[in-house]
Amino acid sequence: MFITGIGRTKFGNLDKSLPELAYEAIVNAIHDSEQNIKDIDAIYVSNFLCGPLNGQLHLNSVISSLIPDLNIPILRIETACASSSVAFNQAINCGKFSNIMIVGVEKMTGPLLTSPIDAISMAGDREFDHREGLIFPASYAIIAQQYMGKYDIDHSVLEDVSYLNHKNSRLNPFAHFFHKEVSRELIKKSPMIADPLNLFDCSPLSDGSVAIVLSRESHSDRDIRILASQMSTDSISLTNRKNLTSFRSTKIASKNAYNEAKIKPSDVDILEVHDCFTISELIALEDLGICGTGKACELIKSGAIEIDGSIPVNTDGGLKANGHPIGATGLAQIYEIVTQLRLEAGKRQVDSPKIGMAQNIGGVGGTCGITILGV
Amino acid sequence: MSYYCKKCNKYWNYPVENCVFCGERTYEVISTKNYVTGYTKVHVPSAGNEKVPYYIYLLEDENGIKSFKKSYEKYETGDEISPIKEINDKVKVGIVGTGLMGSQIAEHLILCRYETILKTREEKNEKMIFSRIEKNISKGLSETEVSQYLRYLSTTTDYSDFSDCDVVIDATTENLEVKREVFKILSNTCRDTTILATNSSSISIDYISIDTPKPENCIGMHFFNPVRKMDLVEIVVGEKTSKRTKDVIIKFAKDLGKIPIMVKSSPGFIVNRLLLPQINEAAKLLEEGVASKEDIDLATKLGLNHPMGPFELADFIGIDICVSILEVLSKELKNVTIKPVDILYEMVNEGKLGYKTKEGFYKY
Repeated sequence: MFITGIGRTKFGNLDKSLPELAYEAIVNAIHDSEQNIKDIDAIYVSNFLCGPLNGQLHLNSVISSLIPDLNIPILRIETACASSSVAFNQAINCGKFSNIMIVGVEKMTGPLLTSPIDAISMAGDREFDHREGLIFPASYAIIAQQYMGKYDIDHSVLEDVSYLNHKNSRLNPFAHFFHKEVSRELIKKSPMIADPLNLFDCSPLSDGSVAIVLSRESHSDRDIRILASQMSTDSISLTNRKNLTSFRSTKIASKNAYNEAKIKPSDVDILEVHDCFTISELIALEDLGICGTGKACELIKSGAIEIDGSIPVNTDGGLKANGHPIGATGLAQIYEIVTQLRLEAGKRQVDSPKIGMAQNIGGVGGTCGITILGV
Repeated sequence: MSYYCKKCNKYWNYPVENCVFCGERTYEVISTKNYVTGYTKVHVPSAGNEKVPYYIYLLEDENGIKSFKKSYEKYETGDEISPIKEINDKVKVGIVGTGLMGSQIAEHLILCRYETILKTREEKNEKMIFSRIEKNISKGLSETEVSQYLRYLSTTTDYSDFSDCDVVIDATTENLEVKREVFKILSNTCRDTTILATNSSSISIDYISIDTPKPENCIGMHFFNPVRKMDLVEIVVGEKTSKRTKDVIIKFAKDLGKIPIMVKSSPGFIVNRLLLPQINEAAKLLEEGVASKEDIDLATKLGLNHPMGPFELADFIGIDICVSILEVLSKELKNVTIKPVDILYEMVNEGKLGYKTKEGFYKY
């Protein structure tokens, strides 16, 4: 299968409503593609929190309103922060349709029904962990605390991750923090959220939407080939996991994806990882086999993950600085890899990449979607 | 809580009866020791976790089963934490009076894990009070949790059971003679160091503590209805209240998740001195036929941005209580303009006391 069109909105604190955001991405993706909207056989819409935040469910019908009189099958997929890579995966696995669109959208600012911190916590275990005050950043703080203790590292490598992502976002006009100069000093001195994670270890609350057009046939030389799409799951609570410094869902999904694409980790030229918190970028690099266990710190300090490095990571700014409109995030990663593989990334263009991979996770690794694309 | 299938070596967090892999019965794994293996300190509030910072500990028991536990206490990695919820053993609290405020304060205390002893006049009431509190706290909690919280509560009819309390809160009826008598008895039965607090909404602590040998241990602690929802506590400092008493009660109020404000003992303190004249003035407006009660309530809500109008609030407080506070205020402040207006007396005479009698300004 091929990706024949991509479209997105800017990410950030935007004036547009959820349907308006989705519409903008849909229009941009269709205009980028050789196909017409009438060629689309079905749409998979990805979103995490439209119920608790926006008081809107039945999102497939909302999307139907944006394409009057087409009346095609539309389905919403929700797997927390991994919703859009899983929607992408489901679209590919549905053998019936020739041309499929995937739309990821999230509206997280403005008037909301529930506070975002409470809504996002719904990605974690409600039965046991919530009542002990385990909000979402706290889960990752526990992971960071375990990781830092295990490998005897300090907070500075997390600051490096944050800094690099912000630096890359300054080259991406669509990024949430495109306009913001972020210094190491600012990162270091930002307020504590949950020890050891401070504000700049956390991705922002963003509005945004991304749409992707898939087709069984290639229609243009700008089309990008899908080499693999895999998903895997794990328990919702960290208390069920033996190892807290690695996500099994990432390991399993990426192993299956490497097999499907018939490549090995060292064949990947460009990588997007799910840095919802800086610590998860380190864990991703290890779980994906880009470096050995406990070696992420070394890899980051070596400069390898920078745009001109041997394995550029999160060239769009990642979740940290490109933004994290949850239901659109996995598709934003795919958008970036397509842009890079098409050599259309402008100032942040990586030197002729051939294979790109995206890792998108839900909750604290309760879901993982892996996508591998190639020219 | 953890359930285990021996044959398949699988664990569940949920009380599953049979293993989905082999169909055999599972065992409940009981942990007796839990050790801290990780932690974070959370600085941002969320629903149910309004008080920050707090710690979350990652615990591991002797079987390697993990759990999380929230606490305000600092523990180190390797420390043992009892799986039974930690008892807040710093302060034991007594409450005199089992009316609306007394039982609501008791509810809040046990939910904050304070050992609480509640005094009622007659033995036959004890069971009823217990089941009322049980019912009130049970919303959103499991049966096990409810019984766990109820372990913090005991009832008595005997003041001598307050002898080892650190703080006793008087929540008897708003009557100086009654409260003076309560304080007098308490000062005889309690320790020298016990702090005697009163939930009085308008009577000066200086009067209430007049018969006690240690007025420095006496203070006002005015909670608001509904206690679990209303964050404010008016700390009423009398002329003789000591710094220690003040400090202990401020910390105590904060530990209860409340926001204490300090006010010198004076009629109506802050809230009632501002509120009751407004209710009286609203009743006057109604008497004069200036506007309907609905419109006066609406004007207050929309124009002053109050969540409730004066008549809705008066019904909620109780018209009889409004009248008695207004009488105290007008007398103490020597201000005839806040003497309760006739309509309020008429309502009391007719038994229209508000929400509690199903009719006040409005019908319920």
